[in-house]
Amino acid sequence: MESLSGLSLAVVLAALGLWVMVSRRNLVWKLLGLGVASGGSILFLVALSHRPGVRPPILGLGPGPAADPLPQALVLTAIVIRFATLALALALVILLTEHRHTQDSRRLEEEE
Amino acid sequence: MKFLLVCGLAGLLGLLGAGLIGIWPRPEFPDSDPVAKAWGVANAVAAVVLGVRLWDTIFEVLVYVVAMVGVRFFLLGMRWHGELPPVAETPLLRRSADLLLGPVLVFALYLVASGHIGPGGGFPAGAILGSALLLLALAKGVERLSAELYEPRLERLEYVVVVFLLFLGAVVLILGVRAPAAFVAANLLVAVEVAIGAWAVLHRFASARGEV
Repeated sequence: MESLSGLSLAVVLAALGLWVMVSRRNLVWKLLGLGVASGGSILFLVALSHRPGVRPPILGLGPGPAADPLPQALVLTAIVIRFATLALALALVILLTEHRHTQDSRRLEEEE
Repeated sequence: MKFLLVCGLAGLLGLLGAGLIGIWPRPEFPDSDPVAKAWGVANAVAAVVLGVRLWDTIFEVLVYVVAMVGVRFFLLGMRWHGELPPVAETPLLRRSADLLLGPVLVFALYLVASGHIGPGGGFPAGAILGSALLLLALAKGVERLSAELYEPRLERLEYVVVVFLLFLGAVVLILGVRAPAAFVAANLLVAVEVAIGAWAVLHRFASARGEV
């Protein structure tokens, strides 16, 4: 119950990203939605690894239990990979736009 | 498609509700201090990222490099023929970039050097270095900066950094060396890697701009 706000915001972000990915037809909008959704999942992991009263997972920062360092390490990986894959996907969208002259996913499917 | 969307949203909300009701008891956090002490550093996250899960980090950097090579490869033929749309250049932006560049660089180096004893580390420092380059590019113009920062040389440096990182991983994991110096070196290598990758992406996207 403690980190309710963080978890709720994470779920709202993931739902928003999912909504954008499904409802928008432009590929760039879809990628933006993917970014928002993965941001939500990242926030979900971080919010799970924190509770009120815990200290950061660093030695010598006061008494009490430390926050779990493992989700934070996973999130570090996820953020960097998200950046790299989003850049690659945007490059592919540029290539697609150059060749097919549209970013509309429905028109791309119909032209197959 | 709408049905899938509604199902996905309902599933997410159901998961959230089930978690908040307390169906799954949330376990106590494991004690992470012994991990940090075992690796001789104060930051448990650094001990996890660059110690316990070093293989994971090495392959993450490899995935990053492969993605950046992919971006370069796909945008290689994407030269906008004709006049590039100019990037707006203002004296205010140039002056403030001059003022900000030094502190930003020093802060990135600080994060690299103190990543094992406090908050920080190679990935944030690399992102900060990359945004320092972005600041420079905004102030000086992307074309001028990319003429100064010769990219093939940076690309070679990127691959050399990966080789060094593999070498460092072998030293830490196979020989069992556990020293703070290894953490600082790994943080530095990762920061250089991430900064070069971010700059390559920025530069490629900027030089492929224009109407398609």
